[in-house]
Amino acid sequence: MPGYELVFIVQPEMEEEPLTALVEKVTQNVSDLKGQVNQVDPWGKRRLAYPIKKHLEGFYFLMQVELPASAVRGLEKSLKLMEDVIRYLIMRRDETGTK
Amino acid sequence: MATDTEGQQQTAPPQRTERSQRDVQRRRRTFHPRARKRCAFCEKKALQIDYKKVDLLKNYMTDRGKIKPRRRTGLCARHQRRLTTAIKRARHLALLPFTIKYLRTS
Repeated sequence: MPGYELVFIVQPEMEEEPLTALVEKVTQNVSDLKGQVNQVDPWGKRRLAYPIKKHLEGFYFLMQVELPASAVRGLEKSLKLMEDVIRYLIMRRDETGTK
Repeated sequence: MATDTEGQQQTAPPQRTERSQRDVQRRRRTFHPRARKRCAFCEKKALQIDYKKVDLLKNYMTDRGKIKPRRRTGLCARHQRRLTTAIKRARHLALLPFTIKYLRTS
């Protein structure tokens, strides 16, 4: 199973409780797709370089995920359906650095 | 005779027209190319290009948010290519701007 890096941005008006629930939901989604989340790294609220859906800030989350290659599309689909996620990026871990 | 021509050359520069002065400047620029900078990422192998390292990537952008060309960054082709994809990924995540619209010039 290749390792992936997942970054997603959540809209800033989120309270703390639904925020953890959302992270939980993403984790659940990954395990539903027969993968596993190895690490969650919340960057906290950051200012966006340009407005996305009229938001100027967002909560950033970085996740280290293991996922079967065929399940990446499924994860993308589920992230697209979450309205509180305003942007995401899934990358293979061996492509993130230079190498 | 030799002394005559020398005297002429010394008085000649102030008489130059604006046009010919520009020509001289242009010639000088092409005549002395700067020594090529070495690629920073080849020199320092530990330094990895990563879309998450916003502060590193910012060094390779103009103050308008454009990606600096290779002749300004001094990077090798391979690292310049990796740098551009990293910057574009960071832009997608709104870590870096696509443009800076209103820039104060004064």
